[in-house]
Order: sequence, then structure tokens, then C-alpha cells
Amino acid sequence: MKAMSNMIGSDNILIKSGKVFEPSNGKEILSDILIQNGIIRAIEKNVNVEDMGDGLAKDLVVLNCQNYFVFPGFVDMHVHLREPGNEDEEDIGSGSRAAVRGGITSIACMPNTNPPVDSEYLINYILSKSRTVDFKIYPVAAMSKDLEGKEMTEIGLLKEAGAIAFSDDGKCIQDSKLMYEIMKYASHFDLPLILHEEDYSFSNYGLAHEGYYSAKLGLDGISPFAEELMISRDIMLAKMAGARIHITHVSSKGSITLIKKAKEEGLNITCDVTPHHLYFNDSFLESYDTNLKVNPPIRSEEDRKALISAISEGIIDAIASDHAPHYEAEKNTTFKDAATGTIGLETLFKASYTKLVRKEKIKLSKLVALLTTGPAKILNIKAPAIKVGDKADIAIIDLEKNKKIKKEDFCSKSKNSAFVGQNLYSEVVYTINNGRLGFIMED
Amino acid sequence: MLSTKNIISIDDLSIDDINLIMESADSFHEVLGREFKKVPTLRGKTIINLFFESSTRTKTSFEIAAKRLSADLINFSASTSSLKKGESIIDTIKTIQSMMIDLLIMRHPDSGVMNFIAANIDVPLINAGDGKHQHPTQALLDLYTIKNFFKDFKGLKVAIAGDILNSRVARSDIKLFKRMGMDVTIVSAPMLLPENLEYFDSNYVYDIGKIIEDIDILYMLRMQFERQDRKYYPSIKEYNRFLSLNMERLQKMKRGSIIMHPGPVNRGIEISENVMNHGENYSGFKINTQVINGVAVRMALIYLMLGST
Repeated sequence: MKAMSNMIGSDNILIKSGKVFEPSNGKEILSDILIQNGIIRAIEKNVNVEDMGDGLAKDLVVLNCQNYFVFPGFVDMHVHLREPGNEDEEDIGSGSRAAVRGGITSIACMPNTNPPVDSEYLINYILSKSRTVDFKIYPVAAMSKDLEGKEMTEIGLLKEAGAIAFSDDGKCIQDSKLMYEIMKYASHFDLPLILHEEDYSFSNYGLAHEGYYSAKLGLDGISPFAEELMISRDIMLAKMAGARIHITHVSSKGSITLIKKAKEEGLNITCDVTPHHLYFNDSFLESYDTNLKVNPPIRSEEDRKALISAISEGIIDAIASDHAPHYEAEKNTTFKDAATGTIGLETLFKASYTKLVRKEKIKLSKLVALLTTGPAKILNIKAPAIKVGDKADIAIIDLEKNKKIKKEDFCSKSKNSAFVGQNLYSEVVYTINNGRLGFIMED
Repeated sequence: MLSTKNIISIDDLSIDDINLIMESADSFHEVLGREFKKVPTLRGKTIINLFFESSTRTKTSFEIAAKRLSADLINFSASTSSLKKGESIIDTIKTIQSMMIDLLIMRHPDSGVMNFIAANIDVPLINAGDGKHQHPTQALLDLYTIKNFFKDFKGLKVAIAGDILNSRVARSDIKLFKRMGMDVTIVSAPMLLPENLEYFDSNYVYDIGKIIEDIDILYMLRMQFERQDRKYYPSIKEYNRFLSLNMERLQKMKRGSIIMHPGPVNRGIEISENVMNHGENYSGFKINTQVINGVAVRMALIYLMLGST
């Protein structure tokens, strides 16, 4: 066998005796997987390499995966890569490595870069960078020029350039008429509008969920109404416009109620939640840990529980990280001055698995669907699967590992993880990305 | 000895700590009545009074307290510091720590800043007010003032009137008063309150007239115009009608009740001009007593943190 470092990049791989997980039926089968030139050639018990001929055995990388689960590579539909403009925090290369480290093989990146992705050349830039780093990045384009919420972007041209969806993420268009026009026009192009919902008159100057802990800690509150009012508005507008909307990082119980009702009425609406909203409640803010300063804020235990129930009930369509890198000085300050957001690519699976499967006894198949077929359907991209003839995108995970998350362990350029100090289950052991071995956990 | 190294929140102190502070304050109160108001207890100790927010009373009170104990006190104000030059707060704190000081007294406009500072330095810290979060020494001096007037805290009826939302004094005082067994009523309005009142665990009325005859202590808060990003309350006239103390209301108060205010008073807003001018004649008017008690309590606290080891 080759040395570990030499194995990275290899596209002839034999996965030995893994528990191969099929999200469509939630079953696992003890099996080998043979990958040749990046393509899955065989999924069967005891693949006999000698029979395959072609001198394959010679440079084959064999991964012994007894007791490891083999999943299709995950999709993270909400990532901030910070390129162009803030490469000190993250760039397309480092963000891709962090994703692969987390078992993720496709991401959608948000347009609030500097400059914002609101024109064709920026879509082209991201796509060409994505090819350079050999990682599937689907750019989301801005809905409004310069993310100012004043004028619509070139939605048709942006789609033709390769935009996968539209969003003003981080901001919310307050002008209801403009929002309505965007919905109506975007409906011609059948791309989802990814909506960050926030009524600024309710959230203004807020730092934390408005409740017991904001009162105790003297942090200005952000009422759940900030999110719920805008969801109500957009449900109403989407009905009239015939638009396809996706509510991102849903945080409150009231929001779930609204989305559930809209789904029951047949509206074309989907939503995602983040692992940090599933994992934490606002009592964690007692430490004033600035890594827990996120938008929407970490809400109450009641809200958190409502998000968990919504997953059980099938109201949630995807789990997405809202990976938001910030360099250290932006977080190593007072809660008020600190930047907003947590990184999340490398903990996307771990945190979700720990909370949902280990703690809340939600089925593993449900979690895997929320990280694969769920987001793929929203973005209308090929559903990740482990199939003969497909290019291999595979995450191999040890579900029994339990480790305390440490700042030093992240390979993202920024280390601002809300999960630092938490004990999380599972460890990605290998990731095969675009047919090549992209990550090996070195213990 | 106190059970805590830092005093960030009033909850950091145990009941034993609080009783110890109250007892020690008595002896320092006696010192303040002497002709020579100074004791040599903390000779050679260095204290920094680090204020990122303007303050007259609290800053001076700590300064007098430290000097009466013979400690060296250095004032450091944000306006004269390098913070205006873009230095980060963490660097400022590390610089100050390098100066080998024994105690840091700090005020800052951001809630929770003391928790952040305490996690980054080993010098003992007293919170002299952080944003809208806590002001524990104010609560201690308020308790001391109440203690000197009433025999027992249990069952005392306290009304705290005004801007609770933006008040660190309210957060510290209500917590402490409740802990000592007092019955607290908040007199305020939804615009001046957090949405969730569960934390305060108190009664609530919107009209001071409804409780003025029943209470033992009326605690008026300063209307924090400087912490409001817009006008929360319709007008001073409306405020006067529902939340202010005027002569008519003063006369309705029970015999033996007292009036308190953390200062500085907005004359004509929370307390009328008339009451401010003639209040001195009323034995229950404790606003100036609070000030002198503040020095005694802060001496006690500094002594217990630095001198009793």
C-alpha cells in the first residue's frame, strides 16, 4: 500500500467491507466498492481485483472500511466562501478542502462576497475557480443589485451563466413590491429563491433571541417576529407570483407553523435548518461566546424542539451549514462588536448526527436524505448516490468516534466554530470527491 | 475572603459574601465619619479604574474608596486612551495586565464584556457597569442603604420604576432584592421592558399611582436616553403622568417609606423639580445617602478582594 500522503488524489480505489448506505431505502449493505479512473465499477461483496485485469491491482489504493459507513457525498446548500474579496477568511480552495474534510462533495455558495455575485462575470469566476480546485461549487446569484434590495439583478442572464439559485442572503429585501416582482420574474426561470427572512424593524440592533436570556444578559433582543413576519409576507407573495421559494436557516417555532401550513396548501416552498440551530439553545449564550453570535440568532429551547419535530414530521427539506468564516480578531471581542456567523462545513454531519440520531433518535436515513437528496432536489442537481457507472462522490464515516471539537482541528482558514468545546459523535475517515481520494483522516 | 475572584454579576456573590460586605461596609462607614478618613490597609496596591463610558459618580466613588484605603489608583478613560486610534479592546486589556496591577475596575458600554475580559486576564475584576447587563456594586450599595433603614429585608415592598429594558441597575437590583426576600413590582411600560419578563420574576404595573401608597421603597431609574436608538416613550408629559414621582405622590407614600435613585436624576422626568428641591426635608429621601454608602460599600469590596488575604 502507498503512504497516506501519496494516496490523496488517487482515482483507483477499493473500498473494502464498508457498510454501504443507500439513502433511497435507508438500508446498509456490507460491500466492497471498486472505483476505477474515478468511476464506480462494482459494488459487491468481495470484489476480486485480479479478475478485473488492466493491471489495476498495481496502483490500487485499498481502504479498509470494516465498521465504517459509506455514504454518498453530502450537499451543503448554504456556504459563504468569502471569495472574491475576503480571502483572508476563506477562499474557494480552503473552503473546498474544509467541505471535503466534512464529507461534503457539492456546495452552493452565497453571493454576499465583495463585490457581491450580481453579474455574469462573477458567476464565471466562481465556476472557473471551482474547476481549478476540482470541487463542485454551484454559485447562487444575488436577487438585487449589490444586495441593496433596490433593483432586480439580471436573473435570466445569471441563470444562463450558471447560477443555481438566487438569494440576497444575509440581507432581506424589505421592499415588498420589489420582492413580488423578483418572484414573478424568477418564476419564468424555474430557479429557487433562497430567502433569508428578517424584518429589520423587529431585529434592528438585536444581538440575541428575545427571551429570558436576552433579558438576563442585557443583550438587545431579536424577536422571532422578525423572521415570521417576512415568511408570512413571502408566502403570500409567492402564492400570487407562482414562485418557488426556499426559506433558509429557519429558526423559530412560529416559522415552522407557517411553512407547514403553506406546504399543506400546496405552495412550492421548501426550507432548511442549520446544525447550530438544532444543537444549541439560547442558554448557551450565558458565556457570551461570540461564536454563538449568528443570524438568525440561536433561539429558545422551545424553538429548537420545534425544529427537531419538524424534521421528524418531514417539514424540513435540507440541513445546511450557513458556513460563515470570520478571522479571529472579528470574534475575539465583545459580543456587540463581534462579527455574525459560525463556520460549519467540517461539523455539518457530526453536529447533526450527534443531535438528531444519537440524541433525538431520528433515523440515520432521514439525516442522510437531508444532507443529500433533499438539498439536491431543491437545487435541481443530480441526487448523490452510490451507483455503478457514476463518478464517485463518497463520504466514509466512523459513527462510533466521539471527540471534543478543538479549534486547531479545523482546516477552514477561519476557526470561528460554535461547536468548539462540544463533544461530537462520528468522524469522516475518507472522502472521495469527483472520483478522487480527497481526504484521509490521519490519527 | 469572598467566594469569587471577580465580581461581574450580582449572582457571583453568595449570601455569605453579601453579609460579609455589609458588615465590612459598616466599619468603613465609620472610617468615613472620622476626621482623618484614611486607613493604610492597601498601601502598595495598584488599582486601575478603566472607564470606557462617561461616569462621574461611580468612577469618583471607586476612586475615593481606593484612596481612603491608601491604594494607588490610576484612572484610564476611553476618551484619552488609544482606543480611539483603533486599538482593540483585547490589546488594551493585555497592556494593562502587563502593568502588574492588583485590581481592575471597569465600565464598558457592551453587555457581557466583563465575561470576555475575565476569560483573558488573571487580574481580579470588578464590573462597574457593562452595557445593559449588570452593575453589581450599585446593587450592593442599594442593599446597604436599605439595610440601614429597615430591620429586615423579608417582605419589604419595592417598586422599581422606569426604563428596565436599558438598565443594568435594574438587572442587578431586582435579582438581589428578590434574593433577600423582598417583593418587587416593576413600574414601567412595554416599550421600556424586555419582551420576556420571566427573568425578573416580579409584579408589573404601568401606573405608579396604583402602588404608591403600598410600597416601602420607591426606586426610580434614570431614563436612559443615551441608550435608546429612538424615542421609546411618547413624551415627558406621558412619563410624568404614569411613571414619575411628584409632590402629590410623595405625600401619598407610607410613613417610613424611602425613595432611591442611582443618579444622576433627570429633574422633571423621573422626579419632579419640586420633589428634588424639597426632598431633603423628607427623611425617606435617600439619594444622597446612597452616594456616601457607595464609597463605604466599595471600600469594603476592594478591601475584601485585596486586603484580607
